[in-house]
Amino acid sequence: MDYSTLLIIMLGCPLAAALLIAVLPSRSVPQGIYAAIHLVSLAGVAVAGLALVASVFFGADVFALGGWFHLDGLSALFLGLIAVIAPCTGVYSLPYVAHDVADGRLGPSQVKQYYAFFSLFVFSMILAVTSNNIIMMWVSVEATTLSTVFLVGVYRTKLALEAAWKYVIVCTAGVAFGLFGTLLVYANAADVMADAHQAVFWTAILPNASLLDPSLMMIAFVFAAIGFGTKAGLFPMHTWLPDAHSEAPSPVSALLSGVLLKCAILIVLRFYILTAANVGPDFPQMVMMILGVLSVAYAAFEVYRQGDLKRKLAYSSCENVGLIAVCLGLGGPLGIIAALVHCVAHGLTKALMFCLAGNVMMKYHTRDLGRIGGLLKAAPVTGVLFVAGCLALAGFPPFALFVSEMAMILAGVAADCWWAVVLVLAALVVVIMALVRMIAGSCLGRVPEGVSRGDVGVLALVPEAVLLALVVMLGVALPGPLASSIEDATAIVMNCESACEGASLFDDALAALADDPAKPEEVLL
Amino acid sequence: MFGYPLVNVLGACLIITSMMVVLARAGRTAAWLYSLQSLVLVGVLASLGFVTGSGELFTWSATAFATKVVLVPAILLYALKKIGDDAQADLPPKLNPMKSVALVAVEVFVCFVAVSGIDLPTAAEVKPTLAVSLAHFFIGLTCIVTQRSIFKQIFGYCLMENGSHVSLALLAPEAPELVEIGVATDAIFAVIILAVLVVRMARYAHTLDADDLCELKG
Repeated sequence: MDYSTLLIIMLGCPLAAALLIAVLPSRSVPQGIYAAIHLVSLAGVAVAGLALVASVFFGADVFALGGWFHLDGLSALFLGLIAVIAPCTGVYSLPYVAHDVADGRLGPSQVKQYYAFFSLFVFSMILAVTSNNIIMMWVSVEATTLSTVFLVGVYRTKLALEAAWKYVIVCTAGVAFGLFGTLLVYANAADVMADAHQAVFWTAILPNASLLDPSLMMIAFVFAAIGFGTKAGLFPMHTWLPDAHSEAPSPVSALLSGVLLKCAILIVLRFYILTAANVGPDFPQMVMMILGVLSVAYAAFEVYRQGDLKRKLAYSSCENVGLIAVCLGLGGPLGIIAALVHCVAHGLTKALMFCLAGNVMMKYHTRDLGRIGGLLKAAPVTGVLFVAGCLALAGFPPFALFVSEMAMILAGVAADCWWAVVLVLAALVVVIMALVRMIAGSCLGRVPEGVSRGDVGVLALVPEAVLLALVVMLGVALPGPLASSIEDATAIVMNCESACEGASLFDDALAALADDPAKPEEVLL
Repeated sequence: MFGYPLVNVLGACLIITSMMVVLARAGRTAAWLYSLQSLVLVGVLASLGFVTGSGELFTWSATAFATKVVLVPAILLYALKKIGDDAQADLPPKLNPMKSVALVAVEVFVCFVAVSGIDLPTAAEVKPTLAVSLAHFFIGLTCIVTQRSIFKQIFGYCLMENGSHVSLALLAPEAPELVEIGVATDAIFAVIILAVLVVRMARYAHTLDADDLCELKG
């Protein structure tokens, strides 16, 4: 079987599962059938996804359906996130949904709705990261919104519906700006390219990027950054994020925060690459730096202020997306490497934390941190994982976020951008204070009355254990293929594949840091 | 009067009809006016097809007629019927009509100024309509922000979507058919989902007032 077919199979698995679940009658079909279809489709996603990612890591460049879909070193990183996090959160959904059914929060039709839209959500994210057609990229980002609305509002309470409404209206309106940016790029490319029909393909536009009109490209990038930045949760377009993340079921929050935000970042990156190839990196870096610094500065204090566990984690997502934008704003090989490693590290860590938040909610029946205490006594395994997850999120070694945050600081030093380094460090200190306070308040102390002792089921712990193991593994040492794939992805972002042939971006970046801060850009661009 | 001038005149009609949608007091009236606006949009697409000789644009105008003139208003009217009279779908907007008209006029002016600086051969002859399509984003946004009834906020999204459609036709008339189908299908699904959400809001929360939906803050 060739890789193009495998990519189609990967797209087909969750779509077929969603359609199959949708046509089954909710009253007469046992919920186990939905769960089985859900698991089979996610197994397909995991196997096909990891095989595709491995093939790209070893040098393949996969195209499918006449160039409409494309998997390169950059999108492979994000596809890898989907292939790992979607099955983990999918497995975690089984005990979580069963608990909600037992609690009377979900009825048969809502269970069916949950599994159907979960599969559709996974499908739309795979579509977003593998689309090579720039207009289809927009359609797929819009599809991620439409497929998750009913997941956010699945509980049908006033608050859940309010969150769903804000989510859909803010994101569809925001992403409409992304479409305008996309159309400007297309129209611009169609004018300069010999075959106008090729102007919808990102891989066809890139070699011609230097011929495009610079002022139009700058306008298009601003529209794209605003439009897709809305979906990524960048300040000030982030308003949907804390509401949707807090009201959605925890596995959905994990998928939203762990993967969806990164898919939107990938689309922004695609426009970043085109714009940088046209007008140079300074303009897109400036836009990303402004959005990133505002997001980090605002969200760090919100992380500290929140008394609701899931809202705290949601603002932390906003802060981390801001950090990714700051890394892109710093630019250079180190900045890009930091951004990509942070995407992967934060995706895994936040999926872990939202699943653990689900365990806490199953145990305490609340998200109010004032009413959560003694987690280490009440649910020891969840407690230990929770402490480790909080430390990972705070960026302590030996966890993966330490690596990316350290790289970001080095990128700031290399770029001689001290004000950004100081600001980011200050924000990180605030976040560390918030998370340490959460550990002290929730994990230590007395167990509130009415909370029984004993952990949640094994099925609700295994996905978190897997995610934590990956977070530690990436923090201790990036596996060779992953490190080289991050280098490949960085080369794509810096649009310098031919210039970097045979060289190691890691080594160049670090050597340049020691010698001359300006050297990496000179060497690579 | 034919050719590009006709396209630009129809573009001006789009602004007038979108203004009428924003100002409509009743949800039902807004749905009919939106249907009228979409008919003008179909006219824009068809006249562009004549001018540019693009066969795709005739197909687009046919699909736009089916989806926007017929289907979207039908979905919204059906949703209104399901909502009933309890949930205040016809709440007045936060801004009075004069202020709304003034705001839209400013938005249109700013868009004309912005588009005048664009130097793109594809859009050279249709700059006024391009400005109109850009203005639709902001008129839609204005509708979303100023309407108290979340049912009427849906029209804000629809106006933005019409703006996208015109932009797509002006800037990418040769785009593959599947792209247009993707955008149109996406819009239909978005309207269906928004309508279902509004009906659920009326059923479970018994309100469609945006001011009542502010419990999630901070």
